Formats: sequence, structure tokens, C-alpha cells
Amino acid sequence: MRLKIPLVIFIYWFETLLFAAEAGMPQLDSKYWFSQSFWLILIFLLLYLSLSKFFIPKIKDNLDDREKKIKDNLDEAKKLSELAEKKNLDYKNEISNAKREVIKIISESKKLLDKNMSQKKEQFEKELEKEINKAEKEILDLKKGSSISINLIAEEISAKIIEDITGDKLNTSSIKASVAEVSKNKIGKYL
Amino acid sequence: MAANPMHQFQVYKIGPEIKLGNVDLSFTNSSLFMLISAFTICLFLYFGSKQKSIIPSRLQLVAELSYNFIGKMISDTAGSKAKPYFPFIFTLFMFVLLCNMIGMLPYSFTVTSHIIVTLVMALFIFIAVTIIGFIKHGFKYLSLFVPKGVPVVLLPLITIIEIISYLSRPVSLSVRLFANMMAGHTMLKVFGSFVISLGLLGGWLPLSFSVALTGLEILVAFLQAYVFAILTCIYLNDALNLHH
Repeated sequence: MRLKIPLVIFIYWFETLLFAAEAGMPQLDSKYWFSQSFWLILIFLLLYLSLSKFFIPKIKDNLDDREKKIKDNLDEAKKLSELAEKKNLDYKNEISNAKREVIKIISESKKLLDKNMSQKKEQFEKELEKEINKAEKEILDLKKGSSISINLIAEEISAKIIEDITGDKLNTSSIKASVAEVSKNKIGKYL
Repeated sequence: MAANPMHQFQVYKIGPEIKLGNVDLSFTNSSLFMLISAFTICLFLYFGSKQKSIIPSRLQLVAELSYNFIGKMISDTAGSKAKPYFPFIFTLFMFVLLCNMIGMLPYSFTVTSHIIVTLVMALFIFIAVTIIGFIKHGFKYLSLFVPKGVPVVLLPLITIIEIISYLSRPVSLSVRLFANMMAGHTMLKVFGSFVISLGLLGGWLPLSFSVALTGLEILVAFLQAYVFAILTCIYLNDALNLHH
């Protein structure tokens, strides 16, 4: 009798628990607990093995590959840009060198030209001087020659004029002397 | 019976009964959805790592993002020593996440809404972490229960509290996930049945709630998987780096 009351209470509690599991929370129904645990452990183990042995290394490889490739590309780009900079510098140097050369060539040729020109000028001037001298000499010669022939002509003319006026032939030597005297005084005026 | 919000958590066996001695190990809908989750993870990771393109495809991007996400989480919480446990944490996170997410599909079954499933996982983590702690630090690992800088008078009390909190880790870890999943799905079901019972006239309000709740539940599904994984990392950190 004493035992009966707790027993009834226990049975009632157990039944309510069972009922709770049936109508309330299926989670508390222990019927499939072992099955769930077993399948969980099995499936999780298989998943863990396949992931750790196969998929995770593959993803890691992919990521590492990408990182390496990006790093390589960056390095190469850096190298190329350095090269381009160097080339650019070389090009600039070359251009400035060429400019300097051009300036040098221009100044040299200018100098040469100047030299040539002055040489030619000098030569030309010399020749000109020579010509002038020659011409002056010729003129002088001509002057000298002309004064003689003028005297001759003047003698002839004066002899003729005197002859026409007086009808007499005058001594040629006296005419000559007087012409020479006149021309000596006056010829400087005209020549 | 279908209107009962708890009916969705019913476990029933599929196919023949498998018995090992006295223990029932039949294949159930729970096992089926575990398999589906595991298979989905494998499929996702297979297609996510198939091509080795420099500019990743969408699936590849998601796979690599989740890899980096877990990797960063582990290194942030447990340091570099926890690197060997990366595959386990990754598997754990993906499995819990996929179980939660697949449970969001109508007429499906949520594996993680069963206390036994989460408890087995939590107990495994708890026991494994304890073993790792003892292997790494020997009996010094017990100093985990004696925090530094505590007054001597309070030390016995604090130590008892620490031991209780340590022992309650598997319970809190498993109950958190299970309760969240169960509560969310029950609530969705309740609001869904409101829509049906109120009909065309009054059903719109619970329907909008239902839609909003679905979004919230997807967030919770992700968040609980994340919390489960990060708590595992924190426990692992305690075992690997004693008294940091």
C-alpha cells in the first residue's frame, strides 16, 4: 500500500513524459537517439575525411596558386615598368645627346663656313686690290702716253694754226718747246 | 496532426529496420537529411574548387570566401596553433550551416533541431578539447579553473564556478543550437497555420510575419552555425593557449 502511491505517481509521470514525447517534443523521444547519433557520427566522419583529404587541400591550392600568380604578375609588372623607365631614360639621354651633337655640328659648320667665307673674302679682296692696282697703273700709263700724244697733237695743231695764220713755216723745235712749256703748266688740270 | 507545430520534428525510419543487438540503428529521415547536407557540401565544394581560374566563378568565390572566413575566424580566436584543427572546424561549420539551411526548405527536416544531434557534437568537442588540453599541458591544464589575480578568499568559490561553467559547456553549446532551431521552426509553423486558419481575409498579417520570420530564421541559421564554430574555437583556444 505504501509502495503503491509512489508507484502510481511514477507511472503517471512516466506516461506524461511518454505522452510529451509523442505529442509534445519528438526530440525527447529516445527511440531513435542511438540511430541519430550513429548516423551523425558516421556521416560527419565521412564528410570530415572527404573535406580534409580532398576538398580543403584543393581550395587551398587554388588560393595559393592565385596568390602566387598575382604576386608573380605584380613582380613582372614592376620589372617591366622599371625596364620601361630605364628605356625612357635611355631615350631621353639619346635625344639630349643628339641635340648636343646637332648643336656641335651646327656650330662647327658655321665656323667652317665663316672661315671659308673670310678666306674667300680675303682672297677676293687681294685679287681686287691687285686688279685695282693694275688698273691704276694702266690708267697712269695711259695718262703718261696720252700726255705725249696730246703734246704731239698740240704741236701739229699749233704748227698748222701758225702756218695758216702767218703763212710761214715755223721752226718745229721752238713749237715743241713752247707746247712743252704750256702743257707742263696746264696739263695737270685735265689729267 | 499536420497542424501540430511539433510534427515537423518527428523522426521516422526509412527503409528496413537495422538492429545491432538491442540497439535500433535504422535509417531515418534525420539520417537522410544529414546525408543530403553532407552531399550538398561535397557538391558545393567540388564545383567550387573544380576550375582553377584566376578570376573565380561565383561558386568558386563562395567556396573560397567560406574557406577564408573560417580560416580568419580560427586564427583570430585560437591563434596559429589551432591550424591543424582547421578541417574539423570547417567541416563542423559547413555541416551545421547546411543542416540549418536545408531545414529552412518547406517539408524538409532540420537535423540540428534535435537535442541528441547537437549534444553528440557538443560532447565530442568538449571531450576532444579536454583531451587536447591535458595532452598539451598535462595537469597544468587544471589551472584553467584557477584564474589569476583573484583574492584568496574568493578563490574556492571562483574555482567551483569555473568548474561548473566548464562542465556546462557541452550543455550550453548543444541547447543553444537546438533551442534556436526548434523555436524558429515552431514559430514559422505556428504563423503558417495562422495564415491557413484566418484565410483570405485575415491571413495577410501572419503571412507577412511569416515572410519576415523566414528572413530572420535564415539569419539565425547562419548565426548559430557561426556561434557553434566560434565557441568551438574559443574552447580550443583555452586548451591550446593556457592563460593567455
